[in-house]
Amino acid sequence: MAEIRRRRRSILDLIGDYLEDLETLSEEFGGVAMFERPSWDLRSCCIEPLCSVFVAADEVVVTADLLNTHPDTIKVEQVNRDTLEIRAEMKRKIRFNEFGITHRQGEFQFFRCQTHIPVSVEAKRMQTRFKRGILEVHLPRKKGYRIKVE
Amino acid sequence: MSEPVKVVEKKAAPSNALMLHGLPDVGLVGLIATSHVISQLKMNEIAYVDSELLPPVVVLHEGLPHAPLRIFGNTDVIATFGEAAIPAKAVQPIVRKLVEWSQAKKVKLMVSMGGMPVQDRQDIEAVKVYGAASNPSLLKLLSDKGIEILHGGFMVGPYALIMRYCAERNIPAIALLAQSFYNYPDPEAAAATIKEFSKITGLQIDVSKLVEGGEEIRLKARDVMKRTTQELNRMKKTQEYDLPLYV
Repeated sequence: MAEIRRRRRSILDLIGDYLEDLETLSEEFGGVAMFERPSWDLRSCCIEPLCSVFVAADEVVVTADLLNTHPDTIKVEQVNRDTLEIRAEMKRKIRFNEFGITHRQGEFQFFRCQTHIPVSVEAKRMQTRFKRGILEVHLPRKKGYRIKVE
Repeated sequence: MSEPVKVVEKKAAPSNALMLHGLPDVGLVGLIATSHVISQLKMNEIAYVDSELLPPVVVLHEGLPHAPLRIFGNTDVIATFGEAAIPAKAVQPIVRKLVEWSQAKKVKLMVSMGGMPVQDRQDIEAVKVYGAASNPSLLKLLSDKGIEILHGGFMVGPYALIMRYCAERNIPAIALLAQSFYNYPDPEAAAATIKEFSKITGLQIDVSKLVEGGEEIRLKARDVMKRTTQELNRMKKTQEYDLPLYV
């Protein structure tokens, strides 16, 4: 009996380990490891800003840290159904040596990022706000059909 | 089997010192604040944390390699300073070791400066700092200094563990948590915590450089913030937004 219990526990442990591995893999393939790349691109002189997506009940809010930029250079565009692109020009060029890096050459003048929008939105009704260097993009969610509750 | 986490001392650490923690967390508030304190008090590296649980990373300064998690000190103050994100799985053993080490050094007070994420942070002009403590007399001290106490809710991450292990070992510990961005570096929040830290400890730290150089810090801290956010997500940091169950 004790052996059976031990064996059962061991199967559960195996399943637990398997699920944990699966979770780690899905995290890695969900954007952490699979698409790992520098946060800058020398050819386009762009730095990728930090950005985040928050899905609320009635809207999706995308924010991006666009410090040191002219507000009137900020462009927000829906490049396809589920991708939003944010671009902005910096007030001054940034060079690698400002980060204490001397083994790379190059300068950056733009912020650019593309972010995935996980639900359907009405991009035409998009509203933006820029305060303290943080851009906020509000995208109303598309409404489905209403189910009548009896 | 070798120890999973070791503190390797390069110089003698002072006894009965105040110990600050600057570990990567929301808004990198603690990291930015502690880095500023280290620079203002002209503290030197006295030890580092060695662990196979940390990623295989060295940080180069002036061409020389340094561990990503170091301990700085002078005669009265010790500060931990983590320049790279700590993997979620390594947080518990590392914090436990740091608390054990601080007890061996008879640290008189542990101070964690950190952030408390709030929605619409960009609309907040005057950042508010909340306090938590490991015992009632320290809570009273915080209250007496005009710091609002965190009466309920969850803390998640390195500072939560520092508080828990210190309470278990009767090491006096406080946390000063400023309203901050979750995943954007927040030098203003760091300045607000330092101001409260000065009120409590009497150590005068000028924060003007921190406020004036805010944009530059935000730019430089982007990549550390990005990796820290990934680890915070693994720690389920958003549990701090949860409402606790009181029966």
